[in-house]
Amino acid sequence: MNVNEPMLPPVRGLVDRAGRLLEADQRLMDLNSRAGGGIGQSIAIPQIATLARLAQRLGILVSRGVVAADGDDDVELWVRAEPEKAGVRLLITGWRSRAAWYPEATQGEREGDFLRSAGDWSWETDSALRITFLSISAGARHGFDSASMLGQPLTRLFALGEDGEGAFPILGGLAMHQRFDGQNATIRATGRTVRLSATPRTDAGGAFAGFIGAAHMIDDAPPVLPQPAAAPEDLTDAFAARLDQALRSPLGRIIANADSINAQSEGPLRQDYADYAADIANAGRHLMGLVDDLVDLQAIERSDFIVAKEPVDLADVARRAAGLLGVRASEAQVRIDKPAPQDMLPATGEFRRALQVLVNLIGNAVRYSPREGMVWIRTERENGVAAVIVADQGKGIALEDQARIFEKFERVDPREPGGSGLGLYIARKLARAMGGDVTVDSAPGQGARFVFTLPYRE
Amino acid sequence: MSSNVGDMDDGSQWGVARLLARAAAADLCADERLAIAVDDFFLPAESRLDERSRSALAGTLAGMVAAVEGAVGQHAARLLAAREVPALSEALATSQPLVMGRLVSSGLLRDAELMRELVGRARQEGLAGALPVTAPEDPDRASLLARLIQNSDGVVAAAAMALLAAENRRHGDVDAMATRTDLPAELHHRLTWWTAAALREHFIEAAGDSLPALDRALIDAAMRSVSSHDEGDRLEAVAMRLAAALDPRADELAPLLVEALADRRLSLFVALIGHALGLEYADARDIVLDPSADRLWLVLRALEVDRESIARIGLALSEADPRRDLDSFAEALDGIAATPSTHARVAITSLLLHSDYRGALLALARGTRP
Repeated sequence: MNVNEPMLPPVRGLVDRAGRLLEADQRLMDLNSRAGGGIGQSIAIPQIATLARLAQRLGILVSRGVVAADGDDDVELWVRAEPEKAGVRLLITGWRSRAAWYPEATQGEREGDFLRSAGDWSWETDSALRITFLSISAGARHGFDSASMLGQPLTRLFALGEDGEGAFPILGGLAMHQRFDGQNATIRATGRTVRLSATPRTDAGGAFAGFIGAAHMIDDAPPVLPQPAAAPEDLTDAFAARLDQALRSPLGRIIANADSINAQSEGPLRQDYADYAADIANAGRHLMGLVDDLVDLQAIERSDFIVAKEPVDLADVARRAAGLLGVRASEAQVRIDKPAPQDMLPATGEFRRALQVLVNLIGNAVRYSPREGMVWIRTERENGVAAVIVADQGKGIALEDQARIFEKFERVDPREPGGSGLGLYIARKLARAMGGDVTVDSAPGQGARFVFTLPYRE
Repeated sequence: MSSNVGDMDDGSQWGVARLLARAAAADLCADERLAIAVDDFFLPAESRLDERSRSALAGTLAGMVAAVEGAVGQHAARLLAAREVPALSEALATSQPLVMGRLVSSGLLRDAELMRELVGRARQEGLAGALPVTAPEDPDRASLLARLIQNSDGVVAAAAMALLAAENRRHGDVDAMATRTDLPAELHHRLTWWTAAALREHFIEAAGDSLPALDRALIDAAMRSVSSHDEGDRLEAVAMRLAAALDPRADELAPLLVEALADRRLSLFVALIGHALGLEYADARDIVLDPSADRLWLVLRALEVDRESIARIGLALSEADPRRDLDSFAEALDGIAATPSTHARVAITSLLLHSDYRGALLALARGTRP
């Protein structure tokens, strides 16, 4: 969510030592007057007033992300408050109309955690793309000297390559300070191919402070086939692209606002209203999940959809998927019994997609488990097939429903809340695209048992 | 048949007795648990470990004990195999981790020095992780350590490289930390001998007549672990080395301190203060981590750090640590900045006394009067 919207020129203002707004560009003036203030009066946006006062008292530049109410909307501002003789000089950028009461920096860190857990190893850089973190043992595992790469430019470690369309995703990421995926590269020391993805780390003022990145080894995998010339964008493509943008940001705002109302961060509130806000946030998250699923759906139904055939350790993927769902499981008071750390199950497929399938299966198992229930994840190998079995203690699935649940917009139990009805459909499509499958066996009252298979790798 | 019935009766009798005994014990336990919960609840929040530090501390401690147990146990097993005591060797090589539980139950891990080191480390990591990300004014300017690695002074460059590597190891490399404790030598030695003792205690029966062989193997393995431990490799030692190599002048210190915090290199920040005052790392760390940062402000004034730099440092630390009160810091800043450095130096003289001497004074003060 670090996509920068087209940058508008920064907005300036000046607050005197008593906290009165002396000068303001039009947009700040408008925002301030809608909040009931005017030139010569105390600035009417409380967060900016606080920040200006803090900067004045400390006597240094202070920058912070601020969410200010603007009529019915919220705007997210990056405010730099710099004290000078006449008062405090304000420089405001951002002006995004979406709420984010948590600082961008934390969000970058969180995305970084997700990246790290999906990658084979991780790296970090400063804003000048010097390597500031590189796992020492990753170097030992993959044959390069991590220690000597620390402090060096990222390009000393990796030779960057163009993707199928002749582009360098990292350049876009760097220019826009946004997340990038699928940057092909080779490790200079070994010549082995990797795929890089990274999310930016930004400071409280929104400035770029470096990348948190992950590397996926793609050894032995056939080189990624050049993408067939992009088909003319048809209606569904455009729809999916727009869906992503058009729904995500308002939904994000609804969820963010509802969460902050629920957290009563702006002051106390009657409990039933706070609870309604939690309902709104949950409904918003549900819709957001649906958007994710629809975007995936659109991608996998394209005729040119391909998945990478890379070596994966399915037991490892299962452990990571279980790890990602740990919080949700403990909230639901469900225990996940994941494969033992030493278990290995070599298979062929695409890591990211296999993780997605297992997150879906385990997530379903958690959702349909009774309190204090248990979800078992087991790995098995049979005749060239690697299988992960996810079993729960839920109410199970009747035989006549077992085919239905893999269809579009069908649900394991239509009476249960949550779920878009696309998860299992997508999971099976993905599994089949990788040469495997997702199947179910279950009887009512006996829990469900989903089996995700991929080709075994000798 | 009758004997079976008898067995069953005995079984159920025994079961009843055990159930009653356990219920009685549970009653007592529940009472104790409540007492502990009450104690815990009334602990002053500012001294209590927050949940993150607590879990970091537990993880670090378990990892260290496992590392030492692995090293001592596995090497002793190899020695026993070579000395033809195969059964004992096998037992040692395949044993489940047992040392942690024993050291906890014995109370040995309540060692004040060990805990001071571990609590300090956990709190430092918590604070460092929460420091706000600060982008440099010039995005093309490399971060502090990356620049120092390119420094023409080889000593500085090597120390900067070592610090970056040590930070990497400590904060992101589970595999590397699985085989090392990163403890000061004395604490590492203590932990190693405790581990050897716990292993002996556990295998004493299995050893039987081979007990002398077990003792010899454990001693040899522990000696090996002790002698191979290099405390100069520790993150804390490496940070002090870099601070000494930089040896900043008074006017160079403030910008270095500010940039170290902006780059979230808290270890270097602590080491720079330690070096400037002639304090050990752990003592400097105590001063930096203290949320009521009065000692830190005095120290910074004693080092002639200017108002603006103190403001930046205070802002960064307050944003990272919710226990610090930014508002009262802003209120106090003028007073802090106005403190003459000579006064500040006098005020902190007691901090600069030899740490063992200070420890002895504190211990004496805590003890009962004659």
